[in-house]
Order: sequence, then structure tokens, then C-alpha cells
Amino acid sequence: MRKRTLLASAIMAGGAVLTAAVAQEQLPTHLKELLELGMHPGHAYVDEGREMFHTPGPNGKSCATCHGQDGKKLEGAYAKMPRYYKDIGKVADIDTRILACMTKYMGYDKNDKKFMKKFKKWNGPYRVPLASYVASLSNGMRIDVKLDDPQEKELYKMGEKLWYMRVGARDFSCGICHTVLAGKRIRLQGLPDPVKNKVYAHWPAYRFGSDRMWTMEDRVRSCFKAYLLYTKQWSKKDWVKKPPPFSDWVIALELYMKHAANGATVEVPGLLR
Amino acid sequence: MRKFVLAGAFVGLGLLVACQPAAQKAEAPKAEKKKLSSKEKFKIALANQDKWQKACSNPTQLVPEGIDVETFKKEMLATVKFPEGGVVGKNIARGEKLFGDPKKGGKSRRGNCYACHCGDPKILACGNIGPSLRGYGKRGIDPKDTYIRIYNSWAQNPCSVMPRLGYHGVLKPEEIADIVAYMHDPNSPLNK
Ligand code: HEC
Ligand code: HEC
Ligand code: HEC
Repeated sequence: MRKRTLLASAIMAGGAVLTAAVAQEQLPTHLKELLELGMHPGHAYVDEGREMFHTPGPNGKSCATCHGQDGKKLEGAYAKMPRYYKDIGKVADIDTRILACMTKYMGYDKNDKKFMKKFKKWNGPYRVPLASYVASLSNGMRIDVKLDDPQEKELYKMGEKLWYMRVGARDFSCGICHTVLAGKRIRLQGLPDPVKNKVYAHWPAYRFGSDRMWTMEDRVRSCFKAYLLYTKQWSKKDWVKKPPPFSDWVIALELYMKHAANGATVEVPGLLR
Repeated sequence: MRKFVLAGAFVGLGLLVACQPAAQKAEAPKAEKKKLSSKEKFKIALANQDKWQKACSNPTQLVPEGIDVETFKKEMLATVKFPEGGVVGKNIARGEKLFGDPKKGGKSRRGNCYACHCGDPKILACGNIGPSLRGYGKRGIDPKDTYIRIYNSWAQNPCSVMPRLGYHGVLKPEEIADIVAYMHDPNSPLNK
């Protein structure tokens, strides 16, 4: 944790450079220097995740108890996720799978609001560091999402449908920004094509614009903010900013994009502006 | 009535609550108000998709075959509400702010035109999704068409990526009229 804060402040020290660079879509020089020193800011999250992985939970079990020292048995697992898990009876992405393991097998309580808040939190000790660490155990391996299980097939279809679904007060869809307008600029931000360009290979990613690590859950949910979704009418009161975390909507879109990334080599943590 | 139910809920929960930490105790009555869960809210938000959005929700994101474009436009035009004072408003300054506040680098929460269009040459952070609106007021375009474009762009170009901001109530008719005034004003930075 301390390491992460330290790095973050090193990065913020170059804040002025950073702002300028964001507009030019290139790495700020001080970040380049960090990289040359072999200090990718995302690696602090991976290190923290490794530590947590070997830390016992309330019932005395750690992730390593079941998944092996240094996550031996999870090598390559992330390259095949999201997928269906029999023990929880559903398709899970990395965030959801970790939550399930912690609450089902380690004694953490799903109904403990304090724990859940800490789990969901962006800069919390569990979700993002553990996801970064587990994902890194698949580095160098090819993404290979299969759609064997009926639930996987169904969710994939839902993801594809959601990708093109025009909805909300701005009539947006993922496809508007990322398929139709890919390559264009929304204000100063270039619009990537996550499907064609198999971007999933570099997620979770450290985004220096926001100075933190994001999992794909975070990315997908944040993109929904642009839609101006609403329940009754568009106004502050009825505004629906994001789908809930760990929900099928999010996992469906992840499955859709990860399947599109099949064949690409996992290289995480990614580094984005 | 609600108070009564709440009180009942309190008594019912009393036993449980007694064993819980203070933070959760405070949460208990809130849950009884039948607030929609975030899941329910999101579900409703998606279910609010209208039939025209649905028609555009295909891989091309354009009007699909089998749907008549002219009928589509007519139906969209029928949704346009005009302000009492006419399509050219009086508050040009407000129009500018809604278009994109120069004091905030061209940002505006609701109009947000600079996300997709360039216009005022001073605003450099502008997108290239729609055509530049530089000199827009000098093109001899009927302000009524500008108004319709902003109120419901699909009346002119069905399934366009330009949001139907008036149709969805993000911008009120009077506010759109002020944007039109700003765009057609010869002294507007767009036109100088
Ligand atoms: C008591 C044993 C146990 C503990 C402790 C445990 N898990 Fe699991 N984990 C499981 C089981 C069972 C599965 C399901 C395996 C399957 O169906 O292939 C699983 C699956 C996973 C998967 C998916 C693996 C794959 O092959 O797709 C990941 C990732 C994972 N766990 C991470 C974690 C992390 C991180 C922790 C610690 C926070 C943890 N687990 C703690 C039992 C455990
Ligand atoms: C209003 C436009 C807009 C919409 C709609 C939108 N996004 Fe995005 N998306 C962006 C922008 C801007 C970025 C960030 C690009 C950057 O960081 O440079 C982004 C980034 C992403 C990325 C990461 C790309 C990369 O390079 O790794 C993914 C994945 C993504 N979006 C998925 C989605 C999904 C799924 C949806 C639908 C729920 C969606 N987006 C809807 C604008 C949009
Ligand atoms: C999400 C992107 C987007 C946003 C936001 C947007 N537009 Fe557009 N606009 C477009 C596109 C794309 C076109 C091109 C025609 C089309 O596709 O419908 C367009 C066309 C126009 C035109 C017609 C231009 C011409 O040359 O005939 C006007 C006028 C216009 N927009 C005004 C606005 C105003 C005013 C706002 C802010 C309230 C705005 N737009 C916000 C995307 C956008």
C-alpha cells in the first residue's frame, strides 16, 4: 500500500507534464523514466495483490491455500475468463470470481456492508490488487474464451446486444463510440475500437489520467456514465449513472469483448493515459 | 401510513438490529422505504429504450431495411415542441453557456456540443465527430431547421449519433431557442 502511494506521488509530481501529455496522447517524460527504471506504476498493485493473495482471511484460509503458493494453479486462468463456474452456478468475471471466493471460502461476509464497501472500492486492498495479480499470472498466454456452457452462450448474446443497444438520453451505445466513431475524437479523447483491436489483452490497466488501476468492470461501468440513463426522466434525481458492479450486464459486455480478443496475448497491467 | 409501517418494521427488526453494529442500525429503516435497488433502476433505464432507438440498435447503427426513413423522420418531427417566443431566443449568453461555456474551456454538462463539434476558434478542446460549426450563422440556414436539429436530430437524420437532446428533455425548448440565437447571431464567436 505504501509503495503504491509513493509511486502515485512521484507521478503527481510531474502533474504539469502529465496534463500536457494527455492531450498529445503520449507518455509524460517522467513516466517514461519510471518505465525505463522498470517501474510501471501498475506493478505496485500487482505486488500488493500478491501479498493479499497469501494473507489469511477470517477463517484462516488464504487464496494460496486453495490456488497454490504464488498462485501456481491460477496460471492461465484469467486468459479463459469470464467463464461459467459450477460452484457458484454462474458466469463470473475476475472481480466477481474473487468476491465469490472470499465470501464462500474465506469467511468474509457478503452482508457486511463495511466489507462490501471496502471490496468495491477502487483503492481498496482486495478487488483491484487481487485482480491485477491474478491477471498477471496469465501474462504471455493467449486469450482463449470458449463459449461451451449454455450460460456463457446466452451471456455472450446479451453482451453483443448491449454493445449495439441505443439507449438513454444521448441515444448512445457502446458501438456508437467504439465501432461507428472509432478513430474519431470526442473532444480531445481518441475513441478506440476495443473489439477489433483486442484491447482486453491489456486489462486491468493503470490509467495515469486518473492515477489508478482499473479493472474491466470499472472501465465498462464508467463508459455507461456518458449515456445519461434515467428511470423516469432525465434529471439529477432519476439519473442512473452505472450498472451495479458484478451484474450480468457488465459481465456480458466483458465476455463479448474478451471473446473478440481471443488469440491476443495477455500483457498486464496495461498502461493507458 | 408510512410512519406506521416503518414503526412496525422497527419492532420486527428490533431483535436483529440489537445484535448489529451501529452503522447498520441506521440503515435498517431506509431499506423499508422500498427504494429501488440499483439493479432495478438499471433495468428500468434499459427498458426505457424507445422504439426508434430499438430500430437503430443494429450493427450498422443506421435505419434498418424495412423501416421507411421518411415515416421515421415524420414521426420524429411530430415530437418537436416549439417555444412560445419563437425558435430564436433572446438570451444569447445563456445559449453560449449551454453550447459550451467558454469559462470552462467549452464544457457544458447538458448541451456539450464541443464534445463532437468545433466552433468558437478559442475553444481548442473540440471533437471531430460532427462537422465544424464555424461560420454556421452565415450559411443562410433557416433557424427553424437549426432548432429542429438540436431538439430532435433524428427528424433530419434518423439514427444519427447526435443526441436528441430536446426530445429527451435534457434541454428545454426555451434553452434550445437560446442556443439557436447564439448560433445565428452575427456577433457570435462562431460567426466572426
Ligand atoms: C477454499 C478454497 C478457495 C479459496 C480460499 C479461494 N478460492 Fe478461488 N476458487 C475456488 C474454487 C472451488 C474455484 C472454482 C474452480 C473451478 O470451478 O474451476 C475457484 C476459482 C477461482 C478463480 C477462477 C479460476 C479459473 O480456473 O477460472 C480465481 C481467479 C480465483 N478462484 C481466485 C481466488 C482468489 C484471488 C482468492 C483469494 C482472495 C481465492 N480464489 C480463494 C476455491 C477457493
Ligand atoms: C460517449 C462515447 C463512449 C461510449 C458511449 C462508450 N465509451 Fe468506452 N470509451 C470512451 C472513451 C473516451 C474511452 C477512453 C479512451 C482513452 O482512455 O483514451 C473509452 C474506453 C473504453 C475501453 C478501453 C479501451 C482501451 O484502449 O483499452 C473499453 C474496453 C470501453 N471503452 C468499453 C465500452 C463499452 C463496453 C461501452 C458500452 C457500455 C462503452 N465503452 C461506451 C468513450 C465511450
Ligand atoms: C455525440 C456527438 C454530437 C453532439 C454531442 C452534438 N452533435 Fe451536432 N452533429 C453531430 C453529427 C455527427 C452531425 C452530422 C449530421 C448527422 O450525423 O446527423 C451533427 C450535425 C449538427 C448540425 C448540422 C450541421 C450542418 O452542417 O448542417 C448542427 C447545427 C449541430 N449538429 C448542432 C449541434 C449542437 C448545437 C449541439 C449541442 C447542443 C450538438 N450539435 C451536439 C454530432 C453531435
